[in-house]
Amino acid sequence: MSTLTDLRIAAVGDVHLGEDSRGHYRKHLEGIEERADVLMLAGDLTRHGTLEEGRVVADEFRDLPVTVVAVLGNHDYHSDQQYEIASELRDAGVTVLDDDGAVLQCGETKLGVVGGKGFGGGFAGKSASEFGEREIKNFVAHTRHIAEAWKVALKEVQADHRLVLSHYSPIKETLEGEPPEIYPFLGSYLLAEAVDTAGADLFVHGHAHKGTEKGMTPGGIRVRNVALPVLGRAYGVYCLDDCD
Amino acid sequence: MEAPQYVAARVQRALAEDARTHELGIRVDIRGDQLFLRGQVDGAEQRERLGAVAHETAPALHLHNEIKIVDIVEPGEDEHLD
Repeated sequence: MSTLTDLRIAAVGDVHLGEDSRGHYRKHLEGIEERADVLMLAGDLTRHGTLEEGRVVADEFRDLPVTVVAVLGNHDYHSDQQYEIASELRDAGVTVLDDDGAVLQCGETKLGVVGGKGFGGGFAGKSASEFGEREIKNFVAHTRHIAEAWKVALKEVQADHRLVLSHYSPIKETLEGEPPEIYPFLGSYLLAEAVDTAGADLFVHGHAHKGTEKGMTPGGIRVRNVALPVLGRAYGVYCLDDCD
Repeated sequence: MEAPQYVAARVQRALAEDARTHELGIRVDIRGDQLFLRGQVDGAEQRERLGAVAHETAPALHLHNEIKIVDIVEPGEDEHLD
């Protein structure tokens, strides 16, 4: 239940539910309405990205007493059934973002959520460029197109608060604990640059299981890595002060 | 004799690509004829599957499955971002 003073955002990523996980996570969601107003799922909801696993995820998060918003992660793409998984989740009442935005009414407050899977490429000074082989150009262009879509969506969203939900990370800080050699596969500074340009109150991501919970973009937007192994708890809850 | 680095890389790749596991974050170390798996997963079944795939990929090595299982605890204190 929302209050007039705070907007309480629950968030978790990388729950990696398999067909043998039915009911395992659901029990941790009991009473979530006492703790939070919305729940954000930061991708890698399945292990292998099969439709059967997608149905398990849909059932785990179906009919919760709080609004649920999700993005998919790289695992959810593995079996090329990402659209079918997203459809299952939407049928279960989950809002699934795919490089677009949604506005949630939370009590008196409007929360704009923008995001999608995100992608990699690395961080400023140590990142890939759109140069050389077509495969490298495609890799970096994929991230650039995502970042551009998020920037547009953030500018269009009319809300009191704006949150970005992603699977991949926008900064290195929340990857600390992962081998630096794989940072380019864990996120991209292009995501941070886009969000810093358009503005947001919070950026939530997953993907980096050995990373660190808390960080900040160069523009001062708080970033939280909510991968389940990082949190070590069913979900994190982040409170935004009500708008002025 | 094959360099242990290549064997470790092959095991790590198998853990990521094998349809039974698809686990990306497991550290694989080889010392002599000993193979060590370290990391975190969310259940005993996944830990066992990872051990099985590693053993199939490097059957000559003695496997030490040191993967931990993450315990999900109740949500803790809220963080206020002001």
